[in-house]
Amino acid sequence: MTVSPADWQALWVSVKLALISTTLLLMLCTPLAWWLARRRRRGQALLEALLALPLVLPPTVLGFYLLLWLGPNGPGGWVAGLWGAHSLAFTFTGLVLGSVLYSLPFVLQPLKNAFLAIDQDTLDMAATLGAPPWDRFRNVVLPLARPGYLSAAVLGFAHTLGEFGVVLMIGGSLSGETRVASVALYEHVEVGDYGQAHQLALVLVLMSLVLLWGLFRWQRRPGTLT
Amino acid sequence: MSLQVDLKLRRGDFRLTVNGRLPERGVTILFGVSGAGKSSLLKAIAGLQPCQGLIRFGDQVWQDEGGSLPAHRRPVGLMLQKPTLFPHLDVAGNLRFAARRSGADAGRWREVVALTELQPLLTRGVAGLSGGEAQRVALARALLTEPDLLLLDEPLSALDAERRQALMAVIARVAERLPVLYVTHQLDEVMTLGDQLWWLDQGGLREQGELTERLAGLHGPLAAGGQAAVVLHTRHRHYDPQHHLLELALGERVLRLPADGPRGDAPRLKVAARDVSLTLTAARDSSVLNILPARVDGLRDLGHGQCLVRLDCEGQWLLARLSTLSRDSLDLRPGSTVYAQIKAAALV
Repeated sequence: MTVSPADWQALWVSVKLALISTTLLLMLCTPLAWWLARRRRRGQALLEALLALPLVLPPTVLGFYLLLWLGPNGPGGWVAGLWGAHSLAFTFTGLVLGSVLYSLPFVLQPLKNAFLAIDQDTLDMAATLGAPPWDRFRNVVLPLARPGYLSAAVLGFAHTLGEFGVVLMIGGSLSGETRVASVALYEHVEVGDYGQAHQLALVLVLMSLVLLWGLFRWQRRPGTLT
Repeated sequence: MSLQVDLKLRRGDFRLTVNGRLPERGVTILFGVSGAGKSSLLKAIAGLQPCQGLIRFGDQVWQDEGGSLPAHRRPVGLMLQKPTLFPHLDVAGNLRFAARRSGADAGRWREVVALTELQPLLTRGVAGLSGGEAQRVALARALLTEPDLLLLDEPLSALDAERRQALMAVIARVAERLPVLYVTHQLDEVMTLGDQLWWLDQGGLREQGELTERLAGLHGPLAAGGQAAVVLHTRHRHYDPQHHLLELALGERVLRLPADGPRGDAPRLKVAARDVSLTLTAARDSSVLNILPARVDGLRDLGHGQCLVRLDCEGQWLLARLSTLSRDSLDLRPGSTVYAQIKAAALV
């Protein structure tokens, strides 16, 4: 037995979703983590608690709210109206939005920790050496935060890949559009097709293992900064 | 061009008001106890800490009511107690970071690398550098920004005596061309490098002016710390290798002190007040080599039975710390003529 074409398609949707979500998250979390790391502000604890909520919330809770927001009567429906659709629920775009929210803490935390580890004196020194703010960020902060970026990317990717509850609530299972690997696996089990389920599960286990193995190997490489 | 500051700094309960001016070149020692605000003042001048007031350098305004020039646009070279090198770059990369942004050319690069003797270290990573090596890189990097003003915050405090000597020589050469504001607690650095003194005390600039003159004050910064000492500016006269003695001229008089060789044309001597005693007649039978006639200029009671005497000796100031009993039995008062026995002096 081999992995069926439909399952390969589900795997591809998963990988595509993870790639897009991770890219968006890295772009979104870079300024957010920098802002959170550089200075204590009023109300920051509440904001950080809100952003960390997906860590503890049952995914179905998040999925339920997303379903309302993305649906025809929520803001997502209004946005969808801009290009003639009437809902973001059960679309790939909706899935991306859900993943971004759900995986945000996994990308935000490593970035914030990486930024926190950078000494203010180092940045001050860069300034007196003639580097304006963007130059300091590009040539001092980013290189020093590289290990944090790698952790953030791997964790964000792997976590999106493994997402189930949120996808089930807002994605449905449209083949090639919103049917991701974890949902496909669930459907195999539901109809008693354990053989197919085994195949798909094994592929997911291997993919996750390779990702994490790569991360840990890289982090232990001599000469890298952790 | 010279730096002129008239600023107010606040940080929590701490307040600092400084109104001062640096000479166009040479080292100005920024002296003060821990917490006096020395580092904060340097950071404010560099543009790294917000403050109120005026900072001008020559005809450039770095800060006034209208606003503040950001740190990256001030022509300042900064060096901290810890080297603060960029760990993701090697030695050459750290230097290039500065040179690229200042536009320092290859000639300047070679000059700075030669001055700091960094050629053999250029391809090394910064993690493996010793403390002295790392500070040399930090100094070279600061110089490659082509600064008009150098701000040094205890740059040598983590180094051993030999490394300190070597780097002090480099800093002294740099200070021939530009003003240097130099924070240190080390007396040898104060006396070797210092031309001017800024004394921060109790939230303000308590004294500023020529270092030799300020140190010799009865109420000077060192007297306050119980370590009163003066700098004597001498001229080389003769070296006697047989007795390992260096003969130096102080005005018309000769000073002799043990040394392993000559020390330049114009050596500076540090003389601590506790190493000077006074007699009314010149002792002929003393083992002390250096006995100089002097005139009492002023006296200050230090409490605890101790007093400080300021002496005019060949046109330079000496300080002597005596017991008040000795002062009274010798009947010392301003104008008295005495002989100062210098029991020890150190070349700085």
